[in-house]
Amino acid sequence: MNAPDRFELFLLQDGEKKITEKVFTGMSNTSDFILMKEDHTLGNLLSENLKQAPHVMMAGYKIAHPNVPEVMIRIQTDGTITPREALVNICKQLVASYGQLGREFQKEFALRQYADQGEQAGLNAQGQGNGGF
Amino acid sequence: MDYDPMAMDDSESLGPVVKISQADKQRVKFELSNADIAFANSLRRVMLAEIPTIAIDLVEIEENSSVLADEFIAHRLGLIPLSAEGVENLLYSRECDCDEYCENCSVKLVLHAKCTGDEMSVSSRDLVPTADRISQNLGTPVIADEDGLGSLILKLRQNQEIKLECIAKKGIAKEHAKWAPSAAIGFEYDPHNKLHHTDMWYESDAKAEWPMSEYADWEEPPQEGEPFDYDAVANRFYFNVETAGNIPPETIVTEGIKVLQQKLAGLIHELTEGDNENGNGDYNGPRSPEFNGGGEGWQDPGYTTPYGNGGNQSAWGGGGATTPYGQTPYGGAGQGGWQ
Repeated sequence: MNAPDRFELFLLQDGEKKITEKVFTGMSNTSDFILMKEDHTLGNLLSENLKQAPHVMMAGYKIAHPNVPEVMIRIQTDGTITPREALVNICKQLVASYGQLGREFQKEFALRQYADQGEQAGLNAQGQGNGGF
Repeated sequence: MDYDPMAMDDSESLGPVVKISQADKQRVKFELSNADIAFANSLRRVMLAEIPTIAIDLVEIEENSSVLADEFIAHRLGLIPLSAEGVENLLYSRECDCDEYCENCSVKLVLHAKCTGDEMSVSSRDLVPTADRISQNLGTPVIADEDGLGSLILKLRQNQEIKLECIAKKGIAKEHAKWAPSAAIGFEYDPHNKLHHTDMWYESDAKAEWPMSEYADWEEPPQEGEPFDYDAVANRFYFNVETAGNIPPETIVTEGIKVLQQKLAGLIHELTEGDNENGNGDYNGPRSPEFNGGGEGWQDPGYTTPYGNGGNQSAWGGGGATTPYGQTPYGGAGQGGWQ
């Protein structure tokens, strides 16, 4: 059978780079970034957040074929920062935001467990056993 | 700053907010607000497809006189949820030094049953993990039913016998759905369809024919004759994360966040590689001994991709953080980002 291995959807091949920048000459201050072995998870996340970022004139992404795990993100900036800087800033900001989400979630979850403890101690003992995972 | 004033209100600077409405052994329901739809959806996608768990991947059948074909049973075995407690210390088989599999990258389970009576059921309780596994519960079949039997694998009639050995390996659901940690993830927003993202089909009256969302009371219903707000964006998202049993539901959320952060961190790392020459360059090359030593594995030693620059000591792990969400050098950016 000629079906490609499914791990090729997320495993970089030997020598393959995760992300490469290609300057797009048709527009000013514009670069295309090719993300290998990625999908809409990062493509949409990054391009939607880039659109809201300062100094970014345009951002968009495409996945040329659903069977091909490659994402192309095109970024145009106003020239004060390079597209690469814009992308790095967005990534950093998202790491921080997700970090905050994680802390927020764990805080809320701990509070919830604490509240449950008062109500039904028995049921909570099981939950606690799982909590150490 | 040339920044959309619509999004500039005070709440924006607070970042994502979580409110948990239900949490038990099976599911956690929570509301995520102050986030945009891409942010929420990426988390959903990652929780569905990219959290590492463990599932049976190889089956060696020694004896099968049941009515079911070998490959049929092998497929059923693959879908049995196994406890993924401690899976972060398990290597991916393809990245292990061993030939095919070993105790560092797999868990072996054996099944041997012979029907001496009239009829018998073989269920996941009868799958016995062998002793040589890296952590105590890793790979134990999940048993959640009242009778304590687990999932039914097959039935045997008199004198039929099944004897086999299973190798459970680490993987992610992108490769095969058997590695999915979540049975289902509920995801909804805008219960009153104010944004018109959905078109409700109806016979005569959409309002009467469609049931209300359980979150309908959480949000203001539209006023009679209210004009459509073209600038409105989705802002509150309702998650319902249900586990298949292999990972507790709250851990699915925290692990999902971790995986997503690792993905982004990998991009930052690669994009800024040339900028700071701290010699963390070649991912494919041999890794330094401290690679696996860094803390409790949020860097997922041996993960396929180049996020590996040293456990919790990584640039974005933050010094001494107990969780992966510990302080980051970019912590400031969390508060409102580019403002």
